[in-house]
Amino acid sequence: MRIIRNSNLCYACKTCQLACSFHHTKTFWPERSSITVSRNPQDGTIKWRMNATCDKCIDEEEPLCVKYCMYGALQISDKNADKQEVKDND
Amino acid sequence: MIKTGNIKGCLAGKILRIDLSNKKIWTEETKSYAEKTLGGRGINSLIMINEIEPRVKWYDRENLLCFGVGALVGTMAPGACRVDISTINVFSGGKGSANVGGFWGPELKYAGFDNLIIVGKSKKPVYLYINDDKVEIRDADFIWGKNTFETEDILRQEIGDDNIKIALIGPAGENRVRGSAIMIDTAKAAAGSGVGCVMGDKRLKAIVVRGHKKIEVAEPERFMKIVSKCYQKCKNNPNKEAWRKSPLNFYADPEWKEWTTSIVVRNGQDDYWEKEKRIELMNPKTGIPSMGKKIRACYCCPIGCMPFMKIDNGKYKGTQGEGLWVNAIWGHACRFDISNPQAIVKAWLLTNELGLDGDYVAAGLSWVFELYEKGIITKKDTDGLELDWGNSEALIKMIKKLAYREGIGDLLADGMVEAAKKIGRNSGYYLIQVKGQPSIESFRVPKGWALAVSTSPIAGRHLRGATFGSDDCGPKPRPGKFNVTDYQNQASGVVWQGKTKEIEDNLGICSYVGTWFGANFLDIEDFVELINTGMGLNLTEEELMDYYAVIGRNLEKAFNALHTNMSREDDLPPKRFREEEVKSGPYKGFKIDENRYNEMLDEFYELWGWDKKTGMQTKTSLEKLGMKDIAKKLLKKDKLVI
Repeated sequence: MRIIRNSNLCYACKTCQLACSFHHTKTFWPERSSITVSRNPQDGTIKWRMNATCDKCIDEEEPLCVKYCMYGALQISDKNADKQEVKDND
Repeated sequence: MIKTGNIKGCLAGKILRIDLSNKKIWTEETKSYAEKTLGGRGINSLIMINEIEPRVKWYDRENLLCFGVGALVGTMAPGACRVDISTINVFSGGKGSANVGGFWGPELKYAGFDNLIIVGKSKKPVYLYINDDKVEIRDADFIWGKNTFETEDILRQEIGDDNIKIALIGPAGENRVRGSAIMIDTAKAAAGSGVGCVMGDKRLKAIVVRGHKKIEVAEPERFMKIVSKCYQKCKNNPNKEAWRKSPLNFYADPEWKEWTTSIVVRNGQDDYWEKEKRIELMNPKTGIPSMGKKIRACYCCPIGCMPFMKIDNGKYKGTQGEGLWVNAIWGHACRFDISNPQAIVKAWLLTNELGLDGDYVAAGLSWVFELYEKGIITKKDTDGLELDWGNSEALIKMIKKLAYREGIGDLLADGMVEAAKKIGRNSGYYLIQVKGQPSIESFRVPKGWALAVSTSPIAGRHLRGATFGSDDCGPKPRPGKFNVTDYQNQASGVVWQGKTKEIEDNLGICSYVGTWFGANFLDIEDFVELINTGMGLNLTEEELMDYYAVIGRNLEKAFNALHTNMSREDDLPPKRFREEEVKSGPYKGFKIDENRYNEMLDEFYELWGWDKKTGMQTKTSLEKLGMKDIAKKLLKKDKLVI
């Protein structure tokens, strides 16, 4: 399973970062998230990164970052994943 | 007073205090304040009324500049990102407050602080650097004089951390222009009440925050179940798609009902704008909507409503930036009769760049345009500018003059009421202001809106209860459909919307995600569940609405009573709208009928528990809220009804 992000759909709300931290710590702790999101308000660009601590939320029904992304930007990859436009860092 | 019990979560735990005069930094516990008001604005209001003596003016060193991050901010509660900024209102002398979203508030909580209270004044320009417990007052000579975009860039380079969040002022705030904003992420303005002017007066250019700590909730698993339910509710709400495009896009439809109920044209000469101008401004292919390139959301927001604008052609080609709001249509366009979409986007982004309050710009400068039309001022006074209706270049030049106090800008920067006194010749009559603060709001057509804006404790502005009727919003069961132009049934909707806003500002939940204006993504029952599982309390909806919502409004009203001479007269709409009728359109002939308005006002006072005749607070209602000490202070000043 892969978690993929469509940069065109991302609104940079950082909910994924915070949800991920809850999975790891049962608290809201962005520093302990596997995801980091930063954005430049002046040119509208977003930097989205996932580090090696991601365990795909092994004990959850679905990864929390995917579950709480209200914009459909994060998805679990399926057999068609290669055909989707995926940009992790833009 | 309500017994809240022991707060067990959601708070960062500390209030950071800074004295800029003596360069002193200290902290105190948040808890005792939060038990009385939950958080955010409530805590700011409590601190202000307890600590600021009535003799203190906005420019005195004893004035406080208070940043209050809502109680639920930092958790995953949907839309919990808001910060209240309170200080003495530079227009009314009473309570000032502005509210802003973005990412700065959550970062302050992750640094360990719920509120930041600043007293004193620095002799030299400074900025604050808050990195968890490391708090420094740093020299700001190198950024003083820079606009908001430049300042953000320079500070990011200087500090070298992508994750810092910055609240800052632009040249307008530095120059103590009364209507100055504090900008967050260069795009979101805490704009009203002159909060940026106070920050500039304290010689404080910016507050840089970086936080690495965590926010804990009382019952993590139960809290997340409620959070999950709330996100689903937002996701399933049929209003989501329309709001997500940005609310200003409602106006892309030239038949949108609020084109005739929410706007004021040519500084109040009319409340109707011709259809061809609406189409030119808001044409989806060539107008403002075509320049919205993408949408950006605030922290943990499930809606997402902030457009990122870029001008692709014409004179202002290349101008870009986050943010454009409905106020740009109401203010920068309609009030000046400007239908050139590029010019409106340019003027709005310039307002952000210079750190001005858009409403102050629009209401203040459109007044000056009308004075020019009437010959009360001439080209001699405007440094040669022809302030004719529709002249967008003149507007853009005037915005710069205002921020930098150039020429006539210097006169206007000290406040339009003061300027009217200097200009004379009945100019004050044409100035649309509420309790001293210039206002872009509509009064003659929507009556609930007029009531809320006129009675707002922070000198106008619509977020303290304005409603366009109650068919989509209001208390449940909803009173049903009724005409927004009627006087009947409005007061209860305005009080309900005012109360929910009190709660939203204490919790830090954006009212777009909350109860505002019929969006209804989250409701009072959701707030109660989030508070109870997050903070570990056991509140009911009634306690939230009848105590926490009411104490917030009463703290601000009491502050006004102690610090100003406001009376019932100050809760009336601007005189012009009581005397002059709407000249054209479907509401031709409408104006405020004072008798009918006063009936509405009577009901409004009664619903808040205030004296109907004077509008003053009563001993009984304040004591019920546990505000005995404040009641005593008011009684001493003869500002309480027994």
